[in-house]
Amino acid sequence: MSHAQAPLVEMRDMSISFGGVRAVDGVSLDLQGGEVVGLLGHNGAGKSTLIKMLSGAYRPDAGDIRIDGRPATIHSPRDARRYGIETIYQTLALAENLDAAANLFLGRELRSGWGTLDDVAMEVETRKVMARLNPHFAKFKAPVRALSGGQRQAVAIARAIHFNARVLIMDEPTAALGPQETQQVADLIVQLKKEGIGIFLISHDIHDVFDLSDRVAVMKNGRLVGTARTRAVTKDEVLGMIILGTCPPAATPGPGVLAGGSA
Amino acid sequence: MRREPGRAFAGLFRATEIDARLVGMLGALALIWIGVDILSGGAFLTPRNLWNLSVQTASVAVMAAGMVLVIVARHIDLSVGSILGLVGMIMGVTQAEFLPKYLGFDHPLIWVIALAVGLAVGAAIGLLHGAIVAYLGVPAFIVTLGGLLVWRGCAWWITSGRTVAPMDDAFRRMGGGIEGAIGASWTWVVALIAFAAIVWRTLHARGRRRQVGFALRPIWAEVTVAGLACLAVWAVVLVANSYDLPPRVAERIAAERGLVVPPQGLAIAHGLALPVLIAVCVGIVVTFLAQRTRFGRYVFALGGNPEATELSGVDTKRVTMLVFVLMGMLCAVAAAISTARLNAATNAQGMLDELYVIAAAVIGGTSLGGGLGTVAGAMLGALVMQSLQSGMVLMGLDTPLQNIVVGLVLVVAVWLDRLYRSRTLKGSTG
Amino acid sequence: MARTSFAALIGAVVLAGIAASNPVQAQVIGVSWSNFQEERWKTDEAAIKAAIAAGGGTYVSADAQSSAVKQITDIEALIARGAKALIVLAQDANAIRPAVEKAVNEGIPVIGYDRLIEMKDVLYITFDNKEVGRLQAREVFKVKPDGNYVFIKGSSADPNANFLFSGQMEVLGDAIKAGKVKNVGESYTDGWLPANAQRNMEQFLTANRNKVDAVVASNDGTAGGAVAALAAQGMAGAVPVSGQDGDHAALNRVALGTQTVSVWKDARLLGRTAGEQAMTLAKGTKLAALQGTKAWADGPRKVAMTSILLTPVPITKDNLDVVIQAGWVPKDVVCRGVKAGTAKACN
Repeated sequence: MSHAQAPLVEMRDMSISFGGVRAVDGVSLDLQGGEVVGLLGHNGAGKSTLIKMLSGAYRPDAGDIRIDGRPATIHSPRDARRYGIETIYQTLALAENLDAAANLFLGRELRSGWGTLDDVAMEVETRKVMARLNPHFAKFKAPVRALSGGQRQAVAIARAIHFNARVLIMDEPTAALGPQETQQVADLIVQLKKEGIGIFLISHDIHDVFDLSDRVAVMKNGRLVGTARTRAVTKDEVLGMIILGTCPPAATPGPGVLAGGSA
Repeated sequence: MRREPGRAFAGLFRATEIDARLVGMLGALALIWIGVDILSGGAFLTPRNLWNLSVQTASVAVMAAGMVLVIVARHIDLSVGSILGLVGMIMGVTQAEFLPKYLGFDHPLIWVIALAVGLAVGAAIGLLHGAIVAYLGVPAFIVTLGGLLVWRGCAWWITSGRTVAPMDDAFRRMGGGIEGAIGASWTWVVALIAFAAIVWRTLHARGRRRQVGFALRPIWAEVTVAGLACLAVWAVVLVANSYDLPPRVAERIAAERGLVVPPQGLAIAHGLALPVLIAVCVGIVVTFLAQRTRFGRYVFALGGNPEATELSGVDTKRVTMLVFVLMGMLCAVAAAISTARLNAATNAQGMLDELYVIAAAVIGGTSLGGGLGTVAGAMLGALVMQSLQSGMVLMGLDTPLQNIVVGLVLVVAVWLDRLYRSRTLKGSTG
Repeated sequence: MARTSFAALIGAVVLAGIAASNPVQAQVIGVSWSNFQEERWKTDEAAIKAAIAAGGGTYVSADAQSSAVKQITDIEALIARGAKALIVLAQDANAIRPAVEKAVNEGIPVIGYDRLIEMKDVLYITFDNKEVGRLQAREVFKVKPDGNYVFIKGSSADPNANFLFSGQMEVLGDAIKAGKVKNVGESYTDGWLPANAQRNMEQFLTANRNKVDAVVASNDGTAGGAVAALAAQGMAGAVPVSGQDGDHAALNRVALGTQTVSVWKDARLLGRTAGEQAMTLAKGTKLAALQGTKAWADGPRKVAMTSILLTPVPITKDNLDVVIQAGWVPKDVVCRGVKAGTAKACN
């Protein structure tokens, strides 16, 4: 990994505690443009918490973040968005009663000259973006609750990329999807990589992560066990990282690795 | 072969893009009106009764418009009746006892000041409710339940329960009655404005669609919808202009204006009632807020998914607070109408109104789970309930029976609404 | 050792204090209100308090806030606070019986105030409500001896509403039978709310195409609603309307001519009578030995009771100065907007 330019995202020594419990403890992680990094670990390992510090939902107690090599201050979701960091939540964070266009532009509505909402313009833009992701999508006026899981996923992703996201955080993207829709998401991710977007993928499902990611990073009890290229390690070895905290030879160990475990 | 016409009709209906639920409600209203008219011996569908009905509905309809936004945002406001009572009492005391000391009776500004004071108090109460709900996190049910008790107590406190009467003459006009209508010519002016607005809106929407290359509604659909809307306006105007002033009053006005009275008596029409005009304007403004402004969009988003809205960077606390401020101000408007109509401020005014207002919103299609509801539906819901209540008095049915019927209608209406919603949802997935 | 003696010292001081604060047993009179929030009861309260103070007693009260169940608790609480006599304005005459029985069993005399509590040991002090109804009907009948009559009754939950109506019917019964007076509209008014009365009146006017000649309304609040409905048809002043309570707004209407009569029950007289009788009873006089009472058995169960029935006064345009002289209402309030020469009391 010898890129001449700085990584898209660098997180150094990120730490945060909640009520005396260290949820994330000194984690450092990088992301290159056009790369997918999968974040794995048990429940409570700190994956979501780490990523929420990047997306502005939490403020870290210690550590810093750099975007394109320059320091970034992220104190709210708005700040994160300004740096081009968009999150697609497990629950998709869509308002079920509004249509696709309204959800896409929630908080960032287009307005007419008189200050009123310009629904027509928003629909036009939505059509353009959805065409990139799902050319067959037609239900622009239907409330989101009437869409299928895959279509909702597409709307959530469309929201992210329309606003020129450079870093996408996807939390359990395939959790509620069937095999066909999972394939759709995989195709979408390939598209996004081609555009140079960097993606953090959080998932329990080790198979999906292996299929979709270029690298994996494993966390345990708030600390980073290690990172590895998915092509260089087996699923069993990664399982060992998750459960035992041991680090296989092809992986780069982190501060959370079990002492004496890097055999 | 038998299915074809049904499908064809459904297709035509979809092409007009009219909200089916609204049509359903209008249909139910028509059924009720015709039914009550038959059972009351033809007294219901007269210009006079319909005019009265519209005035009787006005105050609840105004509050129902605000309640829709409150319920859509996943809150509730149980205090609207008490706010109405308190603001009504404050406005009554202001114009009947406080201001006359400095301005004398019948000063032209009295009603303006009284109304302004009322609106300010309503907004302040709404602000208080909204701030506690949004920033202190106390559930709206509890806050407004407390408000129901507190504001009712305050209303009594102002005059120790004494009724304040009469109201200022100019203020009274907001309650309907002889002075509270705009007359035939002005009613036609309003109608023309309405026609122009309907036509302009149709053309503008069509033009915008063409501009961006979207599919257009077929011409016949545009004409039908606009035509039906204009027809509705025309019907309302006809009814308002058919309700003549009582003969004695007409003679007095003729004498004042020096008109010649023909042998069969002079027919001066009431025209649209002021409280109805106020209610319609409130409906238009609140609908505009709900559909065309960011504030309205955020209220609906809040009702659909509060976390998502928060994560989208919307200041949800501020939106919540403003919803209650709006509700408080609309209670003040309703208080003005109600106090003017009775020509007195009593401390029991508006008691139990919150139940009718919530029922109106719910009958009109607002979902108690939040995120769904229309202002037009709520105002129609208020009209449905008032039609039943007033109609039953015409039929000679006494109060306990009236309450039973209204309660049953409420439950049936909500049940039908849920049926409709689940059917349309099933039909549109996949 | 020191702690025990300190405690004993405190105890002794407290006991001495209690003993010292009760040199003479001041009679405690308990008053149980049904719903203090209505307009008129403040006047009653002031009169009761004054009479009790004049007799050397102490006034304690509780407000049931329209709940019959709460009123039972209130009465028990008043007994626990040492009431030597009770004045009860009953929310529900039947539901209150257990509490009243308890008081009577403990030897505490009970006065039924304004509303009937039909038990033989209760002293019933009221204005004769049937007489109020008769006066209302009589004054309206004087103005319009024949034609179409509308009856705006009180709340269906209030027994007084039926007393009033039966009194009204006593006066009008013959005329109705003879066909000179026709009942073209009759309804209860939910909660005595003026807004409900206004709406019902509007519907009656519509149903009869304004051919209404007289309105017998059971109180001033509902009369106000009826007058507002008549005013919208330009009929206010041409149609006689009755009322009761002597509300300031109603007295103004009587002066203006839009209301014919407001039957005035001087609540101060009622309160004073009740307060005085309560003091007499509390000091030990037996019910049968009271002065100025009479036997009465006109209730629904025909129970023989001791009662004091005060006489209501019908206030019409001709005798408005009665209420003004009595200090019930200031002259400028009664005469607001009245054209010179139309009302005697306002000249």
